[in-house]
Parts: sequence; C-alpha cells; structure tokens
Amino acid sequence: MKMKKTDIGVCLAMYAVCAFFLYMTLQLPKAAQIYPLCVIALLAGLTTLHVFNMIRAAISYGVESGLDDFKNFVPSQFFVLFAMILIYLAVMPYAGFYIASILFMGASLIFLRVKLWQIVLSEIVIIALVYCAFTLFLEVRLPAGIFFE
Amino acid sequence: MLETLSLMGNGFVSALYPVNILAMIAGVTIGIVIGCLPGLSAAMGVALLLPMTFSMEASTGMIMLGAIYCGAIFGGSISAILIHTPGTPASAATAIEGYQMTLKGQAGKALGTACIASFFGGLLSCISLYFFAPVLGKLAMKFGSPEYFWLSIFGLTIIAGVSSKSMVKGLMSGALGLLLSTIGMDPMQGVKRFMFGQSSLYEGINVTCALIGLFSMSQALILAEAKIKQRARATQFNDRMLLTKDELKNIAPTIGRSWIIGNLIGILPGAGASIACFMGYNTARQFSKHKELFGHGSYEGVAGSEAANNAVTGGSLIPMLTLGIPGESVTAVLMGGLIIQGLTPGPNLFVGETAKMTYTFFAGFVLIQFFMLGIGLLGCRGFANIARLSDAILIPSVTILCVVGSFAIHQNFVDVVIMLIFGVIGWLARKFGLNNAAIVLALILGPIGEKGLRRSLLLSGGDPRILFSTPVCWVLIALCVLGILSPVLMDKMAGKKIEEDE
Repeated sequence: MKMKKTDIGVCLAMYAVCAFFLYMTLQLPKAAQIYPLCVIALLAGLTTLHVFNMIRAAISYGVESGLDDFKNFVPSQFFVLFAMILIYLAVMPYAGFYIASILFMGASLIFLRVKLWQIVLSEIVIIALVYCAFTLFLEVRLPAGIFFE
Repeated sequence: MLETLSLMGNGFVSALYPVNILAMIAGVTIGIVIGCLPGLSAAMGVALLLPMTFSMEASTGMIMLGAIYCGAIFGGSISAILIHTPGTPASAATAIEGYQMTLKGQAGKALGTACIASFFGGLLSCISLYFFAPVLGKLAMKFGSPEYFWLSIFGLTIIAGVSSKSMVKGLMSGALGLLLSTIGMDPMQGVKRFMFGQSSLYEGINVTCALIGLFSMSQALILAEAKIKQRARATQFNDRMLLTKDELKNIAPTIGRSWIIGNLIGILPGAGASIACFMGYNTARQFSKHKELFGHGSYEGVAGSEAANNAVTGGSLIPMLTLGIPGESVTAVLMGGLIIQGLTPGPNLFVGETAKMTYTFFAGFVLIQFFMLGIGLLGCRGFANIARLSDAILIPSVTILCVVGSFAIHQNFVDVVIMLIFGVIGWLARKFGLNNAAIVLALILGPIGEKGLRRSLLLSGGDPRILFSTPVCWVLIALCVLGILSPVLMDKMAGKKIEEDE
C-alpha cells in the first residue's frame, strides 16, 4: 500500500497533542505525572511506529495524495454549514434554544435549496419532537435566552 | 438454577409492562426509520437517542436502546432491497440479492424474507444471551484489581480488531482516547488533571457527549460536505410479502447456519454485523441447492445475510454486559446508556436488585424481535418512502438533536461545546483513517484500567508481579494476544472470501 501524504499531517497532529499534554503533565505533582506520562509515551511511540511504516511504504510502493476521501468534498457548502452551526451555538444563549433552532434550520434549508413547504414541515416536526420529548417528557429546561428570561 | 429461572420469569412479567411495550414499539419504529435512511448508522441512532432514556427506568431505557439497535440493523435491508443502497453497512450483502429480486418484481417477497430471517436471527441470538451471559458474569465476580487491569487491556486490544484499514492507526486512535480519558480528577491522588478551569470536567469527559459527537455530529458533518443528491424513488411493489410453507422450509437451514455465524461473530470482539452479513450470505450460497439463482435474486441469499446480521445483536451484548467490554461501536454506545443509569457494566449486573433489571432487559430483547417482525411486515411500504428523505433535511435535524441531547445531560452548555469538539474530532478521524470506535472504547476503558493498575500496585507496595499472580490474569493475557492477532485472522478470512468470489 502506498504512503499517504495526508498521514504526515495526522502524525504531526498526534505529536502536537503529545507535546501539549506533556507540557500540562509536567505542571502536575510528581506522583500524578506517572500515568499520563505512560499514555503520552504510548501515543508518541505508536505515532513513531506509523512514521516508520509510512517511510517503508513510500520506499516500497511510492507516495499518493491520500485525498480520495475528499473527492466529493464541496468546501463552499461544508464551511458555510459549519459556520451556521457555530453561529447557532453562539446565538442560542441570547435568543434561546427554540428561536435559535428555528433560525438555524430555516437558514440551512434555504441555503441547501429545499422547497418552502418542506422547510415549514421539517421545522414543525423537529420543534414539536424536541418540545414533546425534551421539554414535556424529560422536563429539560432548554436555554430560554437572556432576552426572554 | 431455580433462582435464575425465577429471574427469567419475572423478567418477562416486567418486560410486558405497558411502558416497556411502548418503549419497544417506539424504539423499533425509530430504529427502522434510522436504519433505512442511507448515511445514518445504528450506532449513530442509538447515540442520538441516548439522552431520551435519562428519565426512564434503567430496564425501560435499555429496552428502548436495544429496540433501536435491532430495528436499525433490520431497517438497513429496506433501502438495500428497494433502492439498492444499504441503509447500514450490515445490509451490504442483502443489497446483492434483494435488489435483483426487486428488478424481477419480487420486492415484497425479498422484504418478507428479510423480515422473517431478521426475526429468527435476532430471536435465536437471545438463546446465547440467556445461557452465556450469566455464566460469564459469575466468572467475572472473582476478578480483583489486577484482573480488571488486564480486562481493560484486553478491551483495548480489541481496538486493533475494530480498525478496518490500519492496525497502527487504530491503536493510535485508542491511545488518543486513553489520553483524553485522563482529563478530570486523578482517581488516587485527588489532583485536577487537564481541566482547563472547567468544574464540569471534574468527573472527566462525559462519555455520552463524546458518543453523540463522535457518532452523530460527525455524521451530520459527513453529510454536509458532499453535494446533496436526490435519492432514487423506492420501487412500488404489490407482490405478497409472506412466504409459503415450502419457502420457509427452504430457508430454515440457512437461518440456522447464519444464526451460529452471526452469534459467534457478535461475541467475538472487534467483528460486527457488516462482516456477519457477508459470511452469512456466502455460507447460504455454499449450501444452496439453487446456486444458479445467486446473483440473480435468490431469497436464500437475503435470508442468509439478514439472519446473520441480526444474530450479531444478542451475541455482541454478552461481553459488554458481563465483562464491561464493548466489542464494537453500537455496544459501546449501549454501554454509555447503562452508565447514564448509574449502572456499572460487568458482573454486578447479575447480582441482587440489578439482576432484575438485567433479566427484564433480556426478556425485552426477546419481545423486541416480535415487534420488529410485526412492524417490519406491516410498515415496509411506509418505511420505503422515508428512505428518500433528503440529506439536506437530515443535516440540520441531526445537528439540532445532537445539541439538545448533549445539553439535556446536565443542562449545561459546556457539554454542547464538548459534543461539538468531539463531532469535529470524529469527522477528522473518519476523513484521515483514524477510528472513532477505538477512541470511544479507550474513553470508557481508560479509567477502569488506570484504577485497576494503580490499586494493584498500591496493594503490592509497587511490586508489578501482582499483575501476573493469578491464572485468570494469564487467561486474560492470552486473550490480549488473541485480540492483537484477530485482525490478521480476519484479513485471512476476508482474503479467502474474495478468492472464493473470484
């Protein structure tokens, strides 16, 4: 199997996680350091083993991009939807769960070009489901929003 | 013996309470809907609906989650048969023969076969659940701290098994999960570890939030990245769904073989319904008197695949319930369901008052199969239309359910943020060949292993020989070695299958 270029990023990310946790572990008292240090060593060791496997694969079979899993990736759609999720979570403490959810669902469905009647129906079904299951049945106090408290 | 029989009887009485019946009907229906929607998996469905079981009795909650699990495994066959798109990977083999039958105008018969085979596969798998689970549970009662340490190591070696592509990457995912499991209070020293000033991380990362993020939120992100396509319209069918006496007689041996295959695969950690369906299908073809029909619409093929994937369900619960070792992603999520109810998966589930809950769940699991048969046969036409639901509607719907589900755990916004972080981790893990199931297994097993190791060393005054002091320790060490070797054996089995196909 060829070496995937994307695996370089994976290994770098793992080493970064190890370095970050190592830095924080060294702030702990001595007795509490042992177990986290063992786990960090395990992750660093396995990552290094993967690096060796990658080098061996590159020498024996060559290198490929490893971007096959991204061939259907539509960046404009993904990042807009992801931004909408972040805005939805940011707005929720102020506007409350229900208003934020209605706005998020409406905006994302309009962006994905769903027909108007389907947008209305989907919103009604999801909001009714959440209200019945979480507000009525589980008695969860969902964020009401600072404007409405 | 008498005590066990009494527990079994009482389990059935409790399982027949109206609230449990309602949980079965709702769970099976939701499960089938999730299963028949391509892109949504059983693990994702169970994780998404986990918070709904918070306020329920432990047995009712587990029955509902079990019903979603069984329903989703069966539901995958509906879209596999009608639109040639398996709703879940567990129905991939069903699509081969099922869709050919649809093209021949036998969609009803294919769905009927899938329903009946799923029913018998699931029902027979309960036998092993009743027989093996209590025995294994009693054995696990003798475990001390060193044994628990090795048990968690055994669970972690399973990570190698659940890693489909690269064993090292699977182990890396596990090590990452272990590292994340160290967040929270140190169990022996009482020191705050990596809590970033958040008191809500005192007990560590909430496993339910992590489960919802890794399995459900990451799925919403996967759906969000690809161009939205209109799904094929499900084929309308008017033929009979019920099988004749002769047809039932023909598929009976196939169901029997697939049950054994599915059950063994279920018990084996690391293997799951997606492997079982192909093995069941292959065995059905080997033993069939009408091999020429395979590839052109054989109902024996549908029965072989569906009985095997549903037989996995009961088997896969055994290691999770008795040893606290989830062998695959769905059982890891179900284990999360038990933890939410304040129960510790393992031998304690078979003692005292908790045993009543366990046997009620077992009885519920038997009854779920009957509801699956009824709802499946009556509702196939309706479920077929649900399979067309666009990803565009699923993306915000799943996101909202993830948000509300994670918030409901402690009514705390930090949990929502943790869920989103794990959603992104899960999405990245899937894109770059890491393994979400391995991360979850390590998150669950990490604290068990840490406590086992540190308590053992405390008892022995730091002497590591305590970890090798009993025969059970050595059995568990042997199982660990087997766990590491299992992917190699699986690869060999898969290679053999490909050779046979060629």
